[in-house]
Amino acid sequence: MTTSSVLAPPPAGSSKARVGVQKFGTFVSGMVLPNIAAFIAWGLITALFIQTGWLSLFHIDPVWVQQLGGWSTDPKVVNTGLVGPIITYLLPLLIANTGGRMVYGVRGGVIAVIATMGVIVGSGIPMFLGAMIVGPGAAWIIKQVDRIWEGKIRPGFEMLVDNFSGGIVGAALAVFAFFLIAPAVTGLSNALEGVVNWLVKVHLLPLASLFVEPGKILFLNNAINHGVFTPLGLIQSQQTGKSILFLIEANPGPGVGILLAYAVFGVGLLRASAPGAILIQFVGGIHEIYFPYVLAKPILVIAAIAGGATGVLTNVLFNSGLRSPASPGSIIAVIAAAPLSSLPGVLCSVVFAAAVSFLISAAFIRGSRKRDLAAIELSGDVALSNAVAANASNKGKDSRVGDLLGTGGLSAAPAAVKVETDQPIRTIVFACDAGMGSSAMGATVVRNKLKKAGLADVTVTNQAIANLTDDVDIVITQSQLTDRAKQKAPHAQHISVDNFMASPKYDDVVAEVRASQGA
Amino acid sequence: MGKVLELPQINLHGTAATPAEAIDEAGRILVATGAVTAEYPRYMHDREVLVSTYMGNFLAIPHGTNEGKDTVLESALSFVRYDEPIDWGGNPVRFVVGIAGKDGGHMDVLSRIALIFSDEEQVDRLLVAETPEEVLDILGDVNA
Repeated sequence: MTTSSVLAPPPAGSSKARVGVQKFGTFVSGMVLPNIAAFIAWGLITALFIQTGWLSLFHIDPVWVQQLGGWSTDPKVVNTGLVGPIITYLLPLLIANTGGRMVYGVRGGVIAVIATMGVIVGSGIPMFLGAMIVGPGAAWIIKQVDRIWEGKIRPGFEMLVDNFSGGIVGAALAVFAFFLIAPAVTGLSNALEGVVNWLVKVHLLPLASLFVEPGKILFLNNAINHGVFTPLGLIQSQQTGKSILFLIEANPGPGVGILLAYAVFGVGLLRASAPGAILIQFVGGIHEIYFPYVLAKPILVIAAIAGGATGVLTNVLFNSGLRSPASPGSIIAVIAAAPLSSLPGVLCSVVFAAAVSFLISAAFIRGSRKRDLAAIELSGDVALSNAVAANASNKGKDSRVGDLLGTGGLSAAPAAVKVETDQPIRTIVFACDAGMGSSAMGATVVRNKLKKAGLADVTVTNQAIANLTDDVDIVITQSQLTDRAKQKAPHAQHISVDNFMASPKYDDVVAEVRASQGA
Repeated sequence: MGKVLELPQINLHGTAATPAEAIDEAGRILVATGAVTAEYPRYMHDREVLVSTYMGNFLAIPHGTNEGKDTVLESALSFVRYDEPIDWGGNPVRFVVGIAGKDGGHMDVLSRIALIFSDEEQVDRLLVAETPEEVLDILGDVNA
């Protein structure tokens, strides 16, 4: 049950594997990017309320702060807090849900979440990796199961059968994940921990990056940090007043280098969202945000490793470290935790790490730039190539966190689109805000084009986005409105246009309708 | 209900230089016909803030929001052509067609305008038209 098996077949040709890897990357970032708001929420809560957080740093630590952070020592205080449950349950479940939806709609999302609970309780570490495997996998399985009796259920019993088959499959998958997937991910995490632990003991610290950086990308950063660096670092820090171990995972340099390279040389969504991600990662200290960017182009893990190793080596040479863990791994927290004598070394380690990872990422991103653009075209993925076009035209505008959130949905769409496109296209809807003007004009133009092309059997209508339903084949909107339309009709194919009167995309639509009807 | 577009509603030399002024200009024409109340232009501005009504082919079609529906008494159009293109969020606009739609009664008209403006030859004819009569003639049976 690999996630790649649920993707649309890549175009024939020698580039199959490469396109496969790219699609896998797109799929993975599609699972993560729509949920980045939750990561930010968790980051804010963590930064404020944990025991080493900002509030307690300024001695604002009433019971409610301790409760929210989950660190009160008073036995009478109920102490689950927000920080732990969000990263343990909420974030992995959100990722699983998004992954499940991409494969099999709302139903896929529900089964994905049930099954992922099995991995989460089966393991003590945050189960992002497990969620990314089990979520889409579970959705794929329920899709296959539904096929068995598709169209064979007596009318009136569909709901009953759906609910019970979903419940039974979900329960079974949760147990299966508990016994099989959770131990596998825990094992991987333990193995990484073991290797890193050994490297620390034999004083080969820069090599630790070889394992730490890939581990981070798989969202095992907290496990490595809390399992190895924090305990060992605290001992060192007590003895010598500082420890380099606190900086191995928490150095924001490698991540910011990769994001900068995307911001400068990247294409499409990844480029457009990178500046916002930089802010969240470098200043906010939420490293998780750059992992999807590496997953989208796995070779960049080399840049992360080289950047990480550079940072560690710099600190070894300067003999610098931090007094306490920099948590979250923000540049501000890093500076705050550095003893004055270590500050030059620590700052250099961040800058050098960022520079090395930037240069290497830039080389890779530039090297594959043409291919990436071509791949976007090749995959016939109208929504994504439109997003690229829209981004190109938005170049002048600052990309903010809001853009990041807004565009996140786009990358989730391609996979969802592919599920539906084998059927002939019957309904095209133009949607705009009020359904009064723009959409009516666009609908007329396309209707006219289809008529001229001799294509019947397609209805072209216009609607207010608020009234959009999810049972249409193609939805056409102005680019600013596409995200809103996607929320209303997640299973339709979405096309954004800038020119309602004479968009070149209309000819694509006509061609697509013709192809779908001819098939 | 009278005709949605008549000669006084056509102006071939608009004076506006910005989208906001052009929306005011279109709004004034619509209010003057009595098809909308004096509040309608405010909703046209609201709608423009939401999403640009630039349509392509030098055309923008400012109209009100869903919310402002009650200020529309009957369907009407305004047609203003500008000698110098207006910078409409980075796009050149020569034609501003203000729209007030009541009960979908404007849809036929809108469709016809869409067909005319999606045809570049027709757009060229509109660009060189010398009198409002000529424009009405090109827009043909808009009023039919």
